[in-house]
Amino acid sequence: MALNILIVDDSPAMRAFVRRVMQLSGLGVENYFEAANGAEALEITAVQRLDAILTDINMPVMDGEEFVRHLRSDPDPGAATPVIVVSTDATAHRIRNLLELGASGYLQKPFGPEQLRGEVERVLYAGEETPDA
Amino acid sequence: MPEAQDADALVGALLESCCAQVLEAMFFSPVLGPAEPAECRGRPRVAALLHFNGKPSGNLEVDADPGVARALASSFLGLDLSDVSDSQVDEVIAEFANMTCGSALSSLGRVEYFHLETPVVSRPLAYAPAVEGVRRGFLLDGGTLSVCLRVEFGPEE
Repeated sequence: MALNILIVDDSPAMRAFVRRVMQLSGLGVENYFEAANGAEALEITAVQRLDAILTDINMPVMDGEEFVRHLRSDPDPGAATPVIVVSTDATAHRIRNLLELGASGYLQKPFGPEQLRGEVERVLYAGEETPDA
Repeated sequence: MPEAQDADALVGALLESCCAQVLEAMFFSPVLGPAEPAECRGRPRVAALLHFNGKPSGNLEVDADPGVARALASSFLGLDLSDVSDSQVDEVIAEFANMTCGSALSSLGRVEYFHLETPVVSRPLAYAPAVEGVRRGFLLDGGTLSVCLRVEFGPEE
């Protein structure tokens, strides 16, 4: 399956890293889209069909929590796109809050290609067999 | 006093484990062994200082040989050493500080919530520690890197 993936992070280095690890993971990504904050990400989700979104939490302009809240309250079908939060913060308080807002998954840094692939496949194929299975 | 020593030993062990995990998983750079922070003195450095607030609050400092910082940026970004700019080195060292701090705090007991501020990167001409806390040094391919963490839990409620 050729995936359209949006990476949301204010750090260009981190966006480049996620992209690189995506490639190493063997996930079939056809198009990468990038945004530096939640507001930029909403502009992309409004016009682009996406399979999954990976977002940071701490960002200027609009942070990851606000982004998930806005996205999920949008009437557009794209509002249901799976969102994986990528963060170093794995406290129970933070994870619970993000899942309640509508995040589909959570990937804690540090992570490698296997963890990334596992979480993307988990949210994409929840309840189904994965393509390789 | 023994309690404070126990807490320092715990934070030190956590720093060792979190740094090794972050370096290996995200920078493809294994730790070759411990390094005394004192070995870093007297040479130009790349440093990052990060404050965090919440429960607990505190700060984390990263100090690296310029060669190590550049090598980490090269591995993280998947670029040749010669293609890595100074601003990319700064950005990657800031990411390292962010990841190490978040990872250590998430693994520390008693942590309720925290917010990491944006790390400030500097290039002092000599080793100049800005944080008084638990410091651990690491030998990496090409030089050394040290991390210092200070955690303040504040009074019990």
